[in-house]
Amino acid sequence: MQAENISGKILSLMEENPDITIKEISESLSVSEDLIEETLRKMSDARQKILIVDDEMDALLALKVALEAEGYNIVEAKDGYEAIDTAHSENPDVILLDLMIPGIDGFEVCRQLKSDPVYSHIPVIMLTARGEIDDKVEGIELGADDYVTKPFNLKELKARIKMILRRNQDA
Amino acid sequence: MWDRKSKWNLVLFAAVVLLLISSIVFLWMKTNTEVRSVVEEQYQNQQLLLTRQVSSSIERTLNERVLLLEVIANKDTGVPPDNFRSDLKSVYDVAGMFYVVEYVNEDGTIVSGYPEDNVPLGFNLYENKQSRAFERVKNTGQVYITDPLRLMEGNYGSFIWVPVHEDDEFRGAFIAIIREEDLKSRYVVASNSSNYAYLLDDRGRVLYDESENYERGTSYAEILGSDSSGLLDIISKQVNGTEGNGKYLVLNNGTVVEERLVSYSPINWYNQKWSLALTSPSSEVDRLIVSVYLKLFIVVAVSVLFIVFVSSFIVIILFNWSKSLEQEVDEKTQELKDSNESLRAANKKLKELDRLKTEFLSIVSHELKTPLTAMKTSGEFLLETEECDRSLRKKMLDIIIRNIDRQSRMVDDLLDISRIESDRMKFNKEPVDIEETIKVSLEVVDTIIRNKDMKVAVSVPDDLEIITTDKDKLVQVFVNLLNNAVKFSNKGGTIKINVEDETDSLRISVSDNGIGMGPEEVEKIFDKFYQIDSTSTRRVGGSGLGLSIVKGIIEGQGGTITVLSEPGKGSTFVFTLMK
Repeated sequence: MQAENISGKILSLMEENPDITIKEISESLSVSEDLIEETLRKMSDARQKILIVDDEMDALLALKVALEAEGYNIVEAKDGYEAIDTAHSENPDVILLDLMIPGIDGFEVCRQLKSDPVYSHIPVIMLTARGEIDDKVEGIELGADDYVTKPFNLKELKARIKMILRRNQDA
Repeated sequence: MWDRKSKWNLVLFAAVVLLLISSIVFLWMKTNTEVRSVVEEQYQNQQLLLTRQVSSSIERTLNERVLLLEVIANKDTGVPPDNFRSDLKSVYDVAGMFYVVEYVNEDGTIVSGYPEDNVPLGFNLYENKQSRAFERVKNTGQVYITDPLRLMEGNYGSFIWVPVHEDDEFRGAFIAIIREEDLKSRYVVASNSSNYAYLLDDRGRVLYDESENYERGTSYAEILGSDSSGLLDIISKQVNGTEGNGKYLVLNNGTVVEERLVSYSPINWYNQKWSLALTSPSSEVDRLIVSVYLKLFIVVAVSVLFIVFVSSFIVIILFNWSKSLEQEVDEKTQELKDSNESLRAANKKLKELDRLKTEFLSIVSHELKTPLTAMKTSGEFLLETEECDRSLRKKMLDIIIRNIDRQSRMVDDLLDISRIESDRMKFNKEPVDIEETIKVSLEVVDTIIRNKDMKVAVSVPDDLEIITTDKDKLVQVFVNLLNNAVKFSNKGGTIKINVEDETDSLRISVSDNGIGMGPEEVEKIFDKFYQIDSTSTRRVGGSGLGLSIVKGIIEGQGGTITVLSEPGKGSTFVFTLMK
């Protein structure tokens, strides 16, 4: 939220004065230079953004490393509430959503995102250790765009992510 | 209040009841009348029998006496020299009811007799102008009996004239006198108090009446006829010499005083035709009926009382029986309810167990797949990425090794649980120093304790003896409890371990001042995979099997484990360890 506000103000300052330095911006907005730098770095990041929601740190870390190596910008969330907040603030291009997460579970996160018109366009890929068909049906009914069973094949997951991103760009 | 319909019902009911009662009364009265007529008839027949018996006995007695005289009067030997004196004496003695017996010779003179005191010897009938009866028997040659006449002694008696013949030649006559009072004793004795007897001759004149209140020779009809309706009919039948029953009403100034039942029977004594009658008031019949009814009533009353007694007895028995049955049914119902309840509870528990089993499988599957996911992702990444910098490579390999450890721990835990549940857990008992065991356990969890900046306070009695138990399992218990305490504590919290020596066991508590839990959670804390708010919201890691294993280890060695907890104030696990 704060980052977005700042990014808007930074943009207007830069329009007024294209040669403005980070220090000057920092002074005029009275925030730290680090934050300005971070914000500018994020703003200039052209990579596609993936939100990974998983409470298992190792699984999340491994996936993050693997996807970053593919050139994606990864943001992470460890529970349901954080997932929604992050989705709101980061506006990711795709969400990899684990079903069994603390707080509110994956189904509920998916339902809330898909019922909000501002975020309903974000594609959701459900990840779960459960392989039952019921989960698949429920996941897809709630608007999940795809469904991958853990432990997944990394190539397959990457292919599915690519496909969904391309589909969204075309649309 | 009664509504219209039930009012009509009531009226109808009352009418039916009245009809029933009146028909019963009518039938009863009819029966009563019939009974009365039957009883009256019976009574009259009985009275007639009595009358007949009395009259025939009188008749026989009188005729026999006369026959005795006739026998000697017609002897072939003629008049004996003592003028029948000895014969008369024996007749007198045999008869026993004559006042006197005399012999009158053909001249009309009394020449002999017995007993002599009563015999006017030499008395001549012709001279005293009393020859009418003598003449009569002389002419007719038949026995002649006079109406009762006044005797010389002043009382009344019947004269029996028996002609004496010798070869068809008239030789005088016997006179025998039966005094009325001697005769009377014959039938007065026969009659009883309620009966009333009278004797009429063939002209309806009264010979005897118990009341003695009559003039000799007057007609009975004249005495009583005016006050007695129906008596005249009876008298006329009596005069005709028939026997039978009748009744007449005794009137007093035109009102009926009483009804009398009369039975009459003739007495034929040679020329004398008499009729004996016994009467009794019809109230006697009523008295009889009443006495019968009284007896009947007593029998009925006794029967009713008996029936009421017996039936109330039966009712009481049945009532008690049904009461006890009811009670039994209640008890059985209660038992059924209870067993139903316990079945329902058991069913619920089974369903819960089934649900837990499903959940267990799903959780186990999740717990096994999660490390696999991390390993697989890392492994595939390393496989794909040929040029990879060292630090990234190390990171991925760390992930793989960590998850292998995790999976192996998970498998160990599952094996432990499986052993505990099938009672196959083995304990290798050895001498164990508790304090040292606690130290070892604390070393195992040292990293996570330091990560959360937590303090640990251990309190062990100085003189604590070495106990015999499974050391590795005890370490497992402490590690699991400490892990649990750390997981549910906030940063900078304190964990206390307290050991107390009791006679044959140790009482060890591990407490924290973390988030604690409510009573419902306390109840389930030792269940497999139970973690606060279990379903999909595990805020802390771990298999969820730790406390189940702890409980299994403690109880498997004969100890107990309990937990005290309050939300926000932390939890205390207390277990006992047999020495």
